[in-house]
Amino acid sequence: MPEDNRSPIIHIRDLHKCYWVGSMPYPALNGIDLELQNGEFVVLAGRSGSGKSTLLNIVGGLESADRGEARVLGEDILKMGNSQRSGFRLANIGFVFQAYNLIRVLSARENVAYVCQLQGKSKQESLEIANHWLHEVEIGHLGYRRPDQLSGGQQQRVAVARALATEPKIILADEPTANLDSTTGRHLIELMQRLNQSLGTTFLISSHDPDVKQAASRLIKLSDGFIVNSWDEETKPPVSLAVTCPIRNRSFGERLRHFFKPRRRTDQQTKQRTSRHS
Amino acid sequence: MVSRLGILTYVALAVRNLIRNRRRTTITLLTMMFGIATLTLLSALNDGWLSQMKTNFILSFTGHLQIHAKGFEASQNLRDNIADPDAISRYMDTYPEIIGWTQRIRTSGLASVSGSSTGVQIMATDPEQETWVTSMDQNVKTGVWLRPGMNKDLLLGKTVAQNLGAKLSDRVILMTQRPSGEMISEVYYLRGIIETGAPQIDRTLALISLDGAQQWLQMQQAVTDIVIRADHHDQTDTLYRLFVQQLSEQVYEIMPWQELDPMVRQWLEFSDAYGLIILFVVILLVLTEILNTMLISLHERQKELGVMIAIGTQPHRIFLMLLFEAVLLIFVGAVLGYLIALLVVMLLADGGIDLTDYANAFEFFYMDPVIHPQLTRDSALKILLATLVAALLAGIYPAWKATRLSVSQALRIQ
Repeated sequence: MPEDNRSPIIHIRDLHKCYWVGSMPYPALNGIDLELQNGEFVVLAGRSGSGKSTLLNIVGGLESADRGEARVLGEDILKMGNSQRSGFRLANIGFVFQAYNLIRVLSARENVAYVCQLQGKSKQESLEIANHWLHEVEIGHLGYRRPDQLSGGQQQRVAVARALATEPKIILADEPTANLDSTTGRHLIELMQRLNQSLGTTFLISSHDPDVKQAASRLIKLSDGFIVNSWDEETKPPVSLAVTCPIRNRSFGERLRHFFKPRRRTDQQTKQRTSRHS
Repeated sequence: MVSRLGILTYVALAVRNLIRNRRRTTITLLTMMFGIATLTLLSALNDGWLSQMKTNFILSFTGHLQIHAKGFEASQNLRDNIADPDAISRYMDTYPEIIGWTQRIRTSGLASVSGSSTGVQIMATDPEQETWVTSMDQNVKTGVWLRPGMNKDLLLGKTVAQNLGAKLSDRVILMTQRPSGEMISEVYYLRGIIETGAPQIDRTLALISLDGAQQWLQMQQAVTDIVIRADHHDQTDTLYRLFVQQLSEQVYEIMPWQELDPMVRQWLEFSDAYGLIILFVVILLVLTEILNTMLISLHERQKELGVMIAIGTQPHRIFLMLLFEAVLLIFVGAVLGYLIALLVVMLLADGGIDLTDYANAFEFFYMDPVIHPQLTRDSALKILLATLVAALLAGIYPAWKATRLSVSQALRIQ
């Protein structure tokens, strides 16, 4: 479905997602409905394990959903293949991660230029674009430094510059201030707000930082995989595991992979463990 | 959207990744260097002693190529002789691959010294020409080599002389048949004892001069063998083909050295196969080590690769980058290992590895107790090819695995 000015830039309907750790199901999203208009500065708020990151990942095509619909810029991102999603992200979506996630063997300038080159721009043009965006995020003088030679705040600015360098229509930021001190965090929020207003780029940010929530043009609260704006915690419907996490039989291949898989705990598992115990 | 990230960018990224992870890179490089150096050295030792064995065999008796009258090798009958050897000898100066040739008569007979007798292989040769073809003159450990014009000189193999109890200057009676079947005998004088190291030769050889033998056997100019020495083993096939083209196969049989002693040929083939098995095992060990290192590297870099895919890098480009990394690492390690091995081979080439303490083990099959490693072009190509295949195999699996990475899970890794 082609995008037009009146249609939402992100359209999510009845989105379900369940994680499995061994044979234990962990429902992450329980029928999310959400629409974002072009140019919004939306913050997803909620405790750890509420489903914020999962929702962002699905919108960004990094993860698939079990059920539901997720249209981004009119395209059904859930129906795309891996390569198609990569291309779609490159053209339309910028990412800012909690842990900055810069390519550590490239300088700040090269990190930003990398995505431009992926888009087909020449190396020279890409480096010029990188310089421009590094100046925009006020670290133009640090372009030749490698990530390990930058502070957390500086790295996050490089990440923002990298996200903006491809001139995406949407920027997805997952806990962008979580690893920053409050002053640096506030500066980053101001920067993102300024870019949102000057460029009209849509921001979808997951965060439980009060400063970020305060900056939002719209705040969406998530709890246990539900949007809880219209409910309070008591009236929230109970989670139906049967609906969200239908019983599945693992294939022999999956069992084998699971048996040999290195036991390395992810943020998500840590979060889920924390939320189950709290 | 066509990415402008060319191959060079991925090579640069791969190089930076390797430099950045110095410890891992160093360990892998050392593994590669050690593996390839071992592989190359083993190969050089194998080639060295096989080559020595071939040379010793060829120079001890057979030459690279022999031309006989049709059927002689099977019949060993003097009636199957080359009546006009000069018709063949004229080719000898035509081919630059030939560095020496001689004519011989071979027949079986009996040698007797004061009452004791033993069966012998009587071989008559031109004393001067023979020195261009074989090293028999250098194998005379006691006494002297055949003297031109001295038709009563006789040399015996060491074991023959021992069995007969013959000493230098002893009268030795040789008995055999003329081509006509007539039994004849003649007195010779023992002038030297030959010790080739090949038991079957030392046990049977009775060597006399060709001129005297032709008169004794009434064979005029006829001979049974024309023995040719090539510049190198590798030229045997070329010469064989040339003579096959020139000489009628109805009249002559042309036999390369491999056919003259099937047992030696089998032993060489076995040694070659055994060498290949050892090379295969070493390659397998190297490959396993590299694969392990690459998989650990992949595991450590899941997050970084996840980020690259998340920001829009196509999975096939991740595949290429990791493959470059593996190939680059293996290539550099292989080159360094190869250089180390070449250096060792060069250092050992002249002096060789002296195994004289185990000399008894080298008495058979024309082996020398001092092994001179040598790296042949074939072996170098084999190693190069094996390294490339190992590089690709060790690189492809982790690279393919990276393309199947769950991006969201990779990004969650702390």
